[in-house]
Amino acid sequence: MSTKTPSEEDILRPINTLTKKYFILYGVAALGLVAFLVAWAYQLQQGLIVTGLGDWGSGGGSTWGLYIGAFIWWVGVAHGGIILSAAVRLLNMDRYMPVARLAEMTTIGGLSAAGFYILVHMGRPDRMVTSVIGHYHITVNNSPLVWDVTVITAYFVLSATYLGLTLRYDISRLRDDLPDMFEPVYKILTLGYTEAEDKVIDRMVWWLAAAVIIMAPLLLHGGVIPWLFALLPAMPGWTGAIQGPMFLSIALMSAISGIMIISYAFRRAYDWDHIITDDIFRGLLLWLGFFTLLFLWFQLQTIINGVFLGPTNKAVAIEAKIAHPIYQVAMTMIFGTLVYIFLQGIRPALFSKRRALIASVIVLTGTLTEKILFVVEGFLHPTFDIYANTPGTYFPSAIEWLSLVGTTGLVALLFLNLSKLVPVVELHAIEHLRGDHEHGEEATEPEVEA
Amino acid sequence: MSTDDESFHPLGEEWEDELETMLDDTEYDSDLGMEMAQDAMRVTKGELSEAEFHERYHEDVMEEFGEDERPTKEAYEAAQEEAKGTVSNMLNAFDGDDGETRRETMKKMGVGAAAVGVGAFGAASNGPEQSVTAAEEGHGPRQETTEESDTQWGMTIDLERCDGCLSCMTACSEENDLDQGVNWMYVMAWEDENHHGQEGSEYDVYTDFNMGSDFNMLVRPCQHCTDAPCEKVCPTTARHTRDKDGLVLTDYDVCIGCRYCQVACPYGVNYFQWDEPDVAYEDIDGLEDPDNPDQITHAEYEHGERWVDSRAPRGTMSKCTMCPSMQDGKQGEDKVGTSACESACPPGAIQFGNVKDERSDPSQHREHPVKSRAIVHLTNSTDSTKTAPSADQINSALSEGDDLQTAIDQIEGLTVDILAIMKSIEMVSEGTEPGDEENNSILSAEQDILSAVEAFQQYVDLETEEAYSELGLGDGSEQQAHFRLEQYTGDPSSFQLLEDVGTNPNVTYLGQEPGPEAQQVEGPTKYEDVGLLDERQEYLDEGTVGRIDGVSL
Ligand code: SF4
Ligand code: SF4
Repeated sequence: MSTKTPSEEDILRPINTLTKKYFILYGVAALGLVAFLVAWAYQLQQGLIVTGLGDWGSGGGSTWGLYIGAFIWWVGVAHGGIILSAAVRLLNMDRYMPVARLAEMTTIGGLSAAGFYILVHMGRPDRMVTSVIGHYHITVNNSPLVWDVTVITAYFVLSATYLGLTLRYDISRLRDDLPDMFEPVYKILTLGYTEAEDKVIDRMVWWLAAAVIIMAPLLLHGGVIPWLFALLPAMPGWTGAIQGPMFLSIALMSAISGIMIISYAFRRAYDWDHIITDDIFRGLLLWLGFFTLLFLWFQLQTIINGVFLGPTNKAVAIEAKIAHPIYQVAMTMIFGTLVYIFLQGIRPALFSKRRALIASVIVLTGTLTEKILFVVEGFLHPTFDIYANTPGTYFPSAIEWLSLVGTTGLVALLFLNLSKLVPVVELHAIEHLRGDHEHGEEATEPEVEA
Repeated sequence: MSTDDESFHPLGEEWEDELETMLDDTEYDSDLGMEMAQDAMRVTKGELSEAEFHERYHEDVMEEFGEDERPTKEAYEAAQEEAKGTVSNMLNAFDGDDGETRRETMKKMGVGAAAVGVGAFGAASNGPEQSVTAAEEGHGPRQETTEESDTQWGMTIDLERCDGCLSCMTACSEENDLDQGVNWMYVMAWEDENHHGQEGSEYDVYTDFNMGSDFNMLVRPCQHCTDAPCEKVCPTTARHTRDKDGLVLTDYDVCIGCRYCQVACPYGVNYFQWDEPDVAYEDIDGLEDPDNPDQITHAEYEHGERWVDSRAPRGTMSKCTMCPSMQDGKQGEDKVGTSACESACPPGAIQFGNVKDERSDPSQHREHPVKSRAIVHLTNSTDSTKTAPSADQINSALSEGDDLQTAIDQIEGLTVDILAIMKSIEMVSEGTEPGDEENNSILSAEQDILSAVEAFQQYVDLETEEAYSELGLGDGSEQQAHFRLEQYTGDPSSFQLLEDVGTNPNVTYLGQEPGPEAQQVEGPTKYEDVGLLDERQEYLDEGTVGRIDGVSL
């Protein structure tokens, strides 16, 4: 544990430095995004035939694939991020304050990537506005996809507001040390700011956080998003009430992993050992273990419900799922991570930040794989399973794979840009760290804090 | 939609009253206005063609306003090209100058058009077309149509008569210019534990009726579900049910290609247009008679109302449409109540029509399968070796005093068997007459048989004990007749696909229902032998960028 005292200077460092590494990273991220944009342009020109998708049924393909899988994965990362940040504020989990803003930014990034995926997935993205908004008053009554778009938009606005409100405090205080060239942005962000509003904003943020937590099971990743699949009666791979909790657990796993990776990167780049402490990683890792455990439990429930005297259609779908080598690999990876987290909990010596990082990458890969497979599985074993060409075949095309690079680039760019514009660690967190040092004492059980 | 309601405008009577008052305030003739408005709505519903509308009011408009910039018949076809939203375009036709104010335009539009036009202008924030479209379609909460239409197109498909020739599939793909592998109509043979194809076939003997088929067949068009999940989930209302006749269609101008309908449909009947369709838009054909604006190509028809017919353009969803251009009379009156697949089916296994009308073919086939099968077999099917003679044939062949056997011998092709079936049909018939609004081919064939039997009976009495026994009709009771028919055609059970999913399909099947573990097997005719592609993925894979052969999730 570092003995340095966290200072304003620390959190301003990303804004006031410009390194070669930054440029390289920026270049790589931009390249990834541009490469996918070019590929997308080609897809727009040729049609969705450039993907590996096809028609389920007599056609022998899969209607949805990587695009939708990655879409729900990004939404999961985003929703998990906002839930985490809300929990920090609502439950006074002060220990995680230094990463709260990173979590909010992850939400914005995840939602941007998800929104982008909606467009990429469409056959006629040019009609999004006229066709979707034009009939919104009718379709909102029935279409889970419209619910999704609604909720995602709502949460984008909510998260941005949330982020914006907390930024006012910081910017107004750090203004003098912020670069002049972004002056207009700061002006807008702090429009009409007075110190008197701090209290009010604190309240507002608390209520927003409360809203996020309360709505998490229903409107975030535990409801509307899984309903996209779970409500369809004739795809036994998808149906069932378990999908709500399942999706929520995956969202939280992905978000925690994502935030760990991002925190790790910032800590390394800006010497933030004393701000984003080892303690934070230990805590996040335990939380990750907790949600992983929940996830595996839900998986087990699904499987037992299908294979043990399940109805024909369900049994067929679940048997195929557990027999799928990719599913087995993903579950083994996730289970292995859980074992590691458990062991390092018992023997703290087994912990290292690098290992936490590896665990995060494994979990993210595992959840992404699970998501894509989950989407495709529905089409492989439908209730109306008579077609000779069903289960069909699907493997993502190069363009679809590239979309993962592109959206990751997009999110990375967002962080790279934001980090030059505003502090990615809250001033509050610094003040708190300075004023309250004994909090750094080991408290490896996150539940204690919660 | 308020078809039977007094008011003609979807927004109801109150709205009309308000309009009438408003129109009274203008200097123009408000009766003419209201009349025009009514007809304008009829155009949007497809009951009246645009050309007729203009024809009807040209003189009046000239008289009233001294100008009429609307297109005449000659200009009609050109206008059709550009036409998108019916109402807004019709209104534009009155509106020569873009620079006019709303008020001026309305005046000039003619008060009648104003009635419709206000609706469009009033909701300008949504875009006029949408609000009008929504109104036209009677969209409220979508599922509950306020007033049920008495037409619902659908089918009854006799799986035991299907011989797997795939004629319906080829007819459909020709009619609709479908790409390879886009099998809106799909016919498959299947087996499951209880229904083996070859050995355990229900019919061990070849009869003319069962054609000795060794296969269990399933004929799978879109089911045009009354509670269609595909429609519920659509984020745009592109997938919609037409209020007037219950067809579930896709508006190719609105669909965003999200494919959620394909995901939600339990039957797998949707086919997405992944790339540019093989048949270019200009080449989509139909009944072409360039001089007659009512007999138009599919392409032009599509832009008349909502664009729902024929193959989909790139990036949108397609599926079996049940031939809306035929149902709308755009391919001639005699095609109303028929579909391309029905007309193409040699044994008459597909019976298309209004399933809400008890006199329609699908209803007759569903409710009286035994009798209807016999009728179809004796009259309607091109590949049957048995044909019932017509009354004329009988009258010209027979003479007074013939005995039964001589009479039968004297009519070409007539056998005791055929006569027995004809007589049985007459005995069980309730004598329901076919309706005249659509193709009720089973009932009209039944009438033909009834008159043939009547004609026959002028010469030979068929209601004697002797005749009954010769025809195998026992004591001549209705029950015996029914039994005789059953012997001939079998007594099929009927079912709907995935009834427990709650989609309320409008296709009913006669024959064996495939069990949950049924699997498609190779059928009597190979898809590629009739120029069809079965597994579309084979084609789609060619377009996949960076495809790795043989690798799949
Ligand atoms: S079968 Fe039913 S659910 Fe499927 S596309 Fe047709 S109407 Fe929609
Ligand atoms: S693909 Fe088109 S018709 Fe189908 S749900 Fe999406 S927008 Fe509606």
